[in-house]
Amino acid sequence: MSLEEPTPPETEVGVTEAGGVDYDALAELLGEHVIDREEHVNAEAFVVRPDEVQDALFALRDEAGFDHCSCVTAQEYGDRYETIYHLTKYDDRTQEVGVVVPTSKEDPVSQTAEPVYRTADWHEREAYDLVGIEYEGHPDLRRILLPETWQGHPLRSDYNQEKPQVVTLREHANPLQEDHRAGEDSDTMFLNIGPHHPATHGVLHLKTTLDGEQVADVESDIGYLHRCEEQMCQQGTYRHQIMPYPDRWDYISAGILNEWAYARAAEDLADLEVPEYAQVIRTMSAELCRIASHMLAVATFALDIYGDFTALFMYGVRDREVVQNLLEDLTGQRLMFNYLRLGGVAWDLPEPREEFFEKTRDFLDELPERLEEYHDMITSNEILQMRTVNTGVLEPEVAKSYGATGPVARGSGIDYDVRRDDPYGYYDQLDWDVITEDGCDNYSRVLVRLQEVEESAKIIEQCIDLLEDWPEEEREIQSNVPRTLKPENDTEVYRSVEGAKGELGIYMRADGTDKPARFKIRSPCFSNLQTLPEMSEGEYVPDLIAALGSLDIVLGEVDR
Amino acid sequence: MLQSGNATNATNATAAGGEVTTLTETIAGLLGLSGPAGDFVGGVIGGALIITFLLTLVAVSGIWGKRKITAAFTDRVAVNRIGPFGLLIIVADAVRLLSKELIVPEGVDRPAWDIAPIIMVFSAVAGFAVIPMGNGIHLADPEAGLVYVFATASIASVGLVMAGYSSNNKYALLGGLRAVAQNLAYEIPLILTAASVVIFAGSLRMSEIVAAQAAPLISLGPVTIPAWYAFVNPFAFILFMAANLAEVGRNPFDIPEAPTEIVAGWQTEYSSVYFVLGYLAEFLHIFLGGAIIATIFLGGPAGPVLPGFLWFVAKMLAVFLFTQWMRSAIPRVRIDQLIEIGWKGMLVLSFANLILTAVIVGVIA
Repeated sequence: MSLEEPTPPETEVGVTEAGGVDYDALAELLGEHVIDREEHVNAEAFVVRPDEVQDALFALRDEAGFDHCSCVTAQEYGDRYETIYHLTKYDDRTQEVGVVVPTSKEDPVSQTAEPVYRTADWHEREAYDLVGIEYEGHPDLRRILLPETWQGHPLRSDYNQEKPQVVTLREHANPLQEDHRAGEDSDTMFLNIGPHHPATHGVLHLKTTLDGEQVADVESDIGYLHRCEEQMCQQGTYRHQIMPYPDRWDYISAGILNEWAYARAAEDLADLEVPEYAQVIRTMSAELCRIASHMLAVATFALDIYGDFTALFMYGVRDREVVQNLLEDLTGQRLMFNYLRLGGVAWDLPEPREEFFEKTRDFLDELPERLEEYHDMITSNEILQMRTVNTGVLEPEVAKSYGATGPVARGSGIDYDVRRDDPYGYYDQLDWDVITEDGCDNYSRVLVRLQEVEESAKIIEQCIDLLEDWPEEEREIQSNVPRTLKPENDTEVYRSVEGAKGELGIYMRADGTDKPARFKIRSPCFSNLQTLPEMSEGEYVPDLIAALGSLDIVLGEVDR
Repeated sequence: MLQSGNATNATNATAAGGEVTTLTETIAGLLGLSGPAGDFVGGVIGGALIITFLLTLVAVSGIWGKRKITAAFTDRVAVNRIGPFGLLIIVADAVRLLSKELIVPEGVDRPAWDIAPIIMVFSAVAGFAVIPMGNGIHLADPEAGLVYVFATASIASVGLVMAGYSSNNKYALLGGLRAVAQNLAYEIPLILTAASVVIFAGSLRMSEIVAAQAAPLISLGPVTIPAWYAFVNPFAFILFMAANLAEVGRNPFDIPEAPTEIVAGWQTEYSSVYFVLGYLAEFLHIFLGGAIIATIFLGGPAGPVLPGFLWFVAKMLAVFLFTQWMRSAIPRVRIDQLIEIGWKGMLVLSFANLILTAVIVGVIA
């Protein structure tokens, strides 16, 4: 791979000379905060007292350089509740550490991590909502996915899943009533943007306070599309029953990327091998998905800026259609691919193979011309530049604190891509680049996506070359995987892949049965959406919409 | 009498004769009426004819043509299921739109809410009274025709404010306010640019403006380019086209509606017949804009071979096509940018244009 190795600064504590994590040094750094150590499949974890969370996290962030709080997982054990902070570094994704915070069953209170990592805000709200752990000092500990009036915490063992709950949202019973949320005598106006609105890309509700046309405050209200994906995965068996679900998270044709997130985590958990041939097919199909996803992202962003069903939207959909046809040939599906299997893929390339290769090559050959068209109409369009340059600015430090990943982070100049930084699949043997732009604005994020399409095309081309020359007798699409998978009791893994929107992570804990005891999804959109107020406060409403469009969120993935 | 000759004859006749025979007088003459009674009956029948024609034009272009045009721009097919080329969609859509339930939201300020769409339609239709459409189709020809057109067209702003304010909806309110801000910013450049044409023509009377454009500008062998003001002063023409886009609210200036930002602007709470009226008013305004451009910049109904009326409609539709093209191809600017372009850019340019024109015309004349 032609990519330069990220070199961590030498002053950092807890890095071995080989570039790995020196857990003993970290333990020394944390000193008395550590009450126990755990071994997870992906990294070691330190157990910390619930009232010392911030001290431990501050030390890890400031002195050991763990600046990326990738995920916060909450779960219930027989005798305790547990919060796990999965920390890693933007500079080196392979360096990971977990911080486990157990709390008692009677009094599940734990110190909040929000002052350390802004992203913990929403993650802890979700933990409170679904598991019921309370975070002391949290600025706004309310339910996030479920309605305010919901009774009980659904991922607790004592929760009655049979009992139906009818929820009426009384808050907006009369949308016309006087609203003085911003103070009795203020000049601001409160405006509900969504959940039914042409530009919220799904059922997102933005509670916006306007000062004239300027956004004084915006708060995202999510959860309208919450479908209990985590719980459904916990009720499915590893081997076959979970794989269809990931297609339903980010359903904007990013299915195989999502499937890979589960496949990677489960394969690490159960220690499964994936044949090289299958890895190449996975890499190729995942990048096809990425192109389709980015095409739609650019198209809908243009729609948000242009304002009606314009040429650009249709061009995006037209070109995405070609990719969709390729994926249909490969997987038999256009939306819910269900193509990956643990230990490989479902089936080999479609026969006749030459035809598939030819179609794919045709697409790749035409792509540069198509992209030229996009650049003509989007990136070199002066009105669009006027609208997008220097609007929706997201500074890199802010982005990191919110755990932003994917094109959103790369548009802010953060050189972070899981495909390169924590290689999986066949990526490390192919020649491609990670795209970053330093503009930090809406324009940069679109530029990043358009250029990433080119990089994906490069990857696909190399995969096709490899697949064409692959000897027929070595085309092994699946390794030998047991019919029933029962990973050892109490093994835990957190693994992520680079989804279309960013780092898509899966945490799983096995309890010795054929189903996971806890299945947690780290959705990139969830973290990215948190940055919206930072990007849009003080801007005009149109820029709020543009910023939202440039985040490219899919509510199916935000709400899960 | 209805002039049966071709357009060149018609314009020559008006240029030579000075006084034109309006449609009102023609109808009154055919019915053998004269005086105020003749004016009244002739005016009503003539107006009804013109409005019927306009409504047909809107039905064809707004329901069918617009979709086909946008589809062609955006690589789609659009309506092609009902009737030849999908033309019967016009009937189907008319029935559908008119038979929908009229939802009156709670707390709307009636009757302002009911009157608003009617005012908008009225303001657009009334403007057509003074437009010379060729072949004697010209309802009235007052001395201050151009002023009258702009005056009636601006009444639409009142309708927009009424709709925005009375809907009791925040999106509608934002849309209404945006519409007023936009119209204020663009009507002044629009009128100032038109004034530069008046300096050339030396009259506000529509028929005289048209007649003045019949004179030859340059002769290139057998081809004579007429002195249409679009050729005489292309700068003013471009300025007027741009300001007109803002006036009719199409990209890049479709800010009052801005579907992705404020849902539908002032239209948000309107459904069924009221929605149809609003939609109708929008298209009529586009056509009125086209008619004004055709009259003051493109020589009105003048053109070779075909009857003047067809030329006039063709020019009007060309402007309509232009607005649809912009709509498909150009991003929307932000409200503050729009105001800035209007007050800091267009206004200055239109004043410069006006003064330069005045100086040039003064020196030559």
